[in-house]
Amino acid sequence: MRRKPSSEQLETPITSLIDVVFQLIIFFVVTAASEKDLVDENVKLAQAKYAKAEQKRAANTIIINVPRDGNVNIAMQPVTPKQLHQILSSSVSKFGNQMTVILRCDGEVLFRDVDRIIQVVGKAGLYRIRISAEALQ
Amino acid sequence: MGKAKKHEAESLQIPMSSMIDVVFQLLIYFIVTSTREIPEAHLAVNLPTPSTTSSTKIKPKLLELQVMPGQVMLQGTPRSPEMIKENLTALAKLDAEQTVIVKVSPLARTEELVRVLDLCRGVGLTKLNVVTLR
Repeated sequence: MRRKPSSEQLETPITSLIDVVFQLIIFFVVTAASEKDLVDENVKLAQAKYAKAEQKRAANTIIINVPRDGNVNIAMQPVTPKQLHQILSSSVSKFGNQMTVILRCDGEVLFRDVDRIIQVVGKAGLYRIRISAEALQ
Repeated sequence: MGKAKKHEAESLQIPMSSMIDVVFQLLIYFIVTSTREIPEAHLAVNLPTPSTTSSTKIKPKLLELQVMPGQVMLQGTPRSPEMIKENLTALAKLDAEQTVIVKVSPLARTEELVRVLDLCRGVGLTKLNVVTLR
């Protein structure tokens, strides 16, 4: 008596593939969401040949984005100089003046606009200011 | 009786092929919407403290760089980027601890300032003070 070949033997086991694909999805979800709201993608940073990329961000940092259009923003929220001063002052009162301020300035922004922000940061009592650049190495 | 049980077991399998399609759609969506993370370097902008002299006076043994729109001057003399690099490298070899005052014109672009700060750090000069040219 001939046995009909079982059709199950021809099926590809895809349950493991589902697990792998879910892992990939979780990876892309996590990496896409992390710091997405802090960094303004419209800002094209100037490039730095010699400086090394920061491996991890220091604790207690404030990131201020300065795009080419001049709309200074923190976490994608536009701020006026007065609002910026208020935010920085309240941060200083909570965390002290050891906070680091990172200015993500577009390469085409004139220094007078950056200087205005630096003055506001200085008036709020913060002196650890860093300008962000795209590390080429 | 045995064959009926086996048939029941087969019909309980969950069809996975459609789920794979949905999962691949999600994966493609997240791949397309994710952005490349740009490695960032943070260049310190050290502001002069109130105890230092005003920007119009220069202390002796201070290296002065002026960043103007389109050019950089070393000790008041405009130089090409290659000359600036050569000079800074030579000066850094003499004394890497010397203070460098970077005077920036308000009309200079951030990119020009970043280039100068990066160059200074690259040759080993780490004591940088940035002031605005009024």
